[in-house]
Amino acid sequence: MSEPATHEVEYRLARLRDRLAGDDVAELGVRVELRGAAVLLSGTVPTAARRDEILRLARIELAGLTVFDDLASASTDAPERMEELP
Amino acid sequence: MTPAPAARQPDGAVRVAAVGDIHLSPDCAGLLRPAFATLPECADLLLLAGDLTRHGTVDEAVVVADEVRDLGVPVVAVLGNHDYHSDQEADITRALAAAGVSVLEGQSVTFSVAGHTVGVAGAKGFCGGFAGRSAGAFGEPEMKAWVRTAHIGAERLSTALEELSADRCEVRIALTHFSPVPDTLAGEPVEIYPFLGSYLLAEAIDAVGADLAVHGHAHLGTEHGRTAGGVRVRNVAQPVIDRAFALYQLPVHGHGSGM
Ligand SMILES: [Fe+2]
Ligand SMILES: [Fe+2]
Repeated sequence: MSEPATHEVEYRLARLRDRLAGDDVAELGVRVELRGAAVLLSGTVPTAARRDEILRLARIELAGLTVFDDLASASTDAPERMEELP
Repeated sequence: MTPAPAARQPDGAVRVAAVGDIHLSPDCAGLLRPAFATLPECADLLLLAGDLTRHGTVDEAVVVADEVRDLGVPVVAVLGNHDYHSDQEADITRALAAAGVSVLEGQSVTFSVAGHTVGVAGAKGFCGGFAGRSAGAFGEPEMKAWVRTAHIGAERLSTALEELSADRCEVRIALTHFSPVPDTLAGEPVEIYPFLGSYLLAEAIDAVGADLAVHGHAHLGTEHGRTAGGVRVRNVAQPVIDRAFALYQLPVHGHGSGM
């Protein structure tokens, strides 16, 4: 299998970013970056279901590329501490 | 069953809970309610810093409304860009107001907390960039409209803050969705800073005065920052604080003539 040309990969990443920020997904807190020949997805999304949805989309848009998943879902716990402002 | 009362705040302090960018939709109904239910023990009011919904639909706003209804503390909100996405911001505002939320866009609201007057001035704000790195109102009509929108956002915040000054509030909080400072954007790509906030908001905050500025929108940013005039800024986007809400305790010392 031949490696896709670098500029091709760049446009595919841009397309994925557009799709993530677009109408259906509406997720702006996801970082999509090249790490060597692989693509790293990172950032924090509201729920685990959203995270799965984003990964599913990424695997479609980036078929043929290795996808590293560093996405997290935000904690919904009450905080244990209060910041005291002077 | 009533939970054990947590330690009361020292006299002359106001406890503020805040979160933004919860981006709720029907599939996450009830997600934040357990944490919000603890608010009467730990906070005097809850601020919502916009992007409460995912696509800006009324269905999603109803989920938000149910999450904060009858919490036992006042809830004050501004909307975010996501809440405008489906052109339903007026209905979203109504749905939240029906659940008792004060939704601000260029207005202010005041509360009495342990005998002290606490005021919140709110406006969504807009992007445009930061001092020395911002867009100018020049050229195409689209460009001028963009910059004009940023100015309108800052003017609304300014009007609301002036109301708080006129009301002689002892604690004044500026609530926006977009960021007034670049400090709290650290972690976001520098190239997109102009889409994340506007220095015009900070200029308004510094000109009129405030004790705390709270915003959201920058999911990859950081929590802490300050305006040029020294006002503390907190980015409470939920992915940033990684909790259901953040808690800040502000001292009450009446407001003098500023710094
Ligand atoms: Fe957001
Ligand atoms: Fe936003």
